[in-house]
Amino acid sequence: MAANSTEGASVRAAAARAVFATLGGRNLGTALKEAEAEIPIGRDRALLQALAYGTVRDHRWLEALCGKLLRNLATTPPEVVALVEVGLHQLRDTRVPPHAAVSATVSACDLIGHAHARALVNAVLRRYLREARTLEAALPGTPALRFSCPDWLADTIRRDWPTTWRAVLEAGQQPGPMTLRVNVRATSTSAASKALEAAGMPACAVAGAPDALRLHTPHAVHQLPGFDNGTLSVQDAAAQLAAPLLDARPGMRVLDACAAPGGKTMHLLERTDELDLLALDSDVGRLKRITENLERLHLTAEVHHAEADNPQRWWNGKPFDRILLDAPCSGTGVIRRHPDIKWLRRPTDIPKLAAQQRTLLEALWPLLAPGGVLLYVTCSILDAEGAGVVEGFLRKHRDAQEWRIEAEWGEAARVGRRIAPGGDWDGFYYARLRRLEG
Amino acid sequence: MALLPILQLPDPRLRERGARVETFDEKLHALIADMFETMYAAPGIGLAATQVGVSLQLAVMDCSEAHNEQRVLINPEVLAEDDLEEMEEGCLSIPDVQEKVRRYNHITVRAQDAAGQSYEIKAEGLLAQCLQHEIDHLNGKLFVDYLSRLKRDRIKKKMVKLHKREQ
Repeated sequence: MAANSTEGASVRAAAARAVFATLGGRNLGTALKEAEAEIPIGRDRALLQALAYGTVRDHRWLEALCGKLLRNLATTPPEVVALVEVGLHQLRDTRVPPHAAVSATVSACDLIGHAHARALVNAVLRRYLREARTLEAALPGTPALRFSCPDWLADTIRRDWPTTWRAVLEAGQQPGPMTLRVNVRATSTSAASKALEAAGMPACAVAGAPDALRLHTPHAVHQLPGFDNGTLSVQDAAAQLAAPLLDARPGMRVLDACAAPGGKTMHLLERTDELDLLALDSDVGRLKRITENLERLHLTAEVHHAEADNPQRWWNGKPFDRILLDAPCSGTGVIRRHPDIKWLRRPTDIPKLAAQQRTLLEALWPLLAPGGVLLYVTCSILDAEGAGVVEGFLRKHRDAQEWRIEAEWGEAARVGRRIAPGGDWDGFYYARLRRLEG
Repeated sequence: MALLPILQLPDPRLRERGARVETFDEKLHALIADMFETMYAAPGIGLAATQVGVSLQLAVMDCSEAHNEQRVLINPEVLAEDDLEEMEEGCLSIPDVQEKVRRYNHITVRAQDAAGQSYEIKAEGLLAQCLQHEIDHLNGKLFVDYLSRLKRDRIKKKMVKLHKREQ
């Protein structure tokens, strides 16, 4: 027996609303939280999330299809276009039976306040079903369009990754794996791996990231044996490189300058006893996640609400032996997990972010003890936010020297080391600087 | 697990009566798992084996909002029924059609579960309606059979036209 027809419709309407909000400049995660309020069932929420993420990921291609299918793309209300994109995504990339996808999407018109568009949406989706192959083949095959990337970003990636740029763009279209960080204070990776296997969630090690286990398939965090008691956390392998690289030793004074939500902070504390660690973040809401994580993992650190680039407000004058600067960035290395980044960033953001990164580096450098180490990290894959920032800094500071990172992961950049997104890794940039004595 | 294609009106296989299930083995359990997946994806609250081209007295159901009340109905028989009422209904084999039909609001059914254990269920409301709908399927009967000939013919024509357009 069929479910009441409005059931599937509300999920499609919520997905269209989230997509519309994201294209208008909202963060997809936030937009989804609001859209979820109307979807009480867990299983439907999972579908909502899959539809919204999938549509946002392929937005440029789907919009191009809409251009072929809708006579007047420009005059069609944007909410309706978003709903058609959600409908097309279901027909192209999901296992939802086509008739169910069409009827639920058509019924969703009423719920987004465009009941008059029912006939249009119905006609467009059914035409796609009939002519999918011709329509898809009629679109130009440029990588930027095929991998749904805005031109400015595709061009920048092409310049910064001249030989591998296509693979970098393509990697952004594949959702990343679910990777766990084993709390080495509580257990070993081999024991954790066995416990996961026994729970029916097999995982394997990631070469180069000693505490990481990659799950073969994703699972809800609270089902993981050891999430609630702090044995396991969720963190991409590339983000797990920070703690080992920083080389903190027991008793050292450590600053984590932009710490929220605290993944790298926790990893530092898990790996090394008796750290005197100060974690800062400028966002109160995100700061709360650090304290929650500390509680779950039974770790301690001093947590401060402060702007890292303004140390006279919060620094007590005692130098740090280690500084982790995980600087705010474009997030272009984590597009596979946050596809909304492609539509939220503007080309003008990149020089602004680079300026902010330089300011942070300049502001924190004097806080580093002679002989101390600063690790500069971003999840950007753009040169302007990576080697570009650090190179300029090294030129200006005689007391700063690169401590080369030798590793099996990633590739050497002009300064520091970078990882292309794909497979086990999110895209990241790392540079390690030592402050010379005297 | 896999999604199974759902037969649509006027497929003649929907008119077959399912044979009794005699073997409760892994093959049956795999079929049941696939049927649940297919039913949830549709989305539906009940799916009979005859709707996926398997001529057996087997149906899966879940009428809960949270999708946590899975029921397997094997070799069912109706023991008692009471209170005829009009209820709105739709069928996964007849997409986009919703019509009012007369169903019993209270029903008692005896059936076997996936392991072959016999059980009895007293149901009312949506669950009672869904039980009747699925048991009808297992006997080759569809909800449009309760409608007037005029309405039934109109629906059949619409379905035939739909299939032509989608092919």
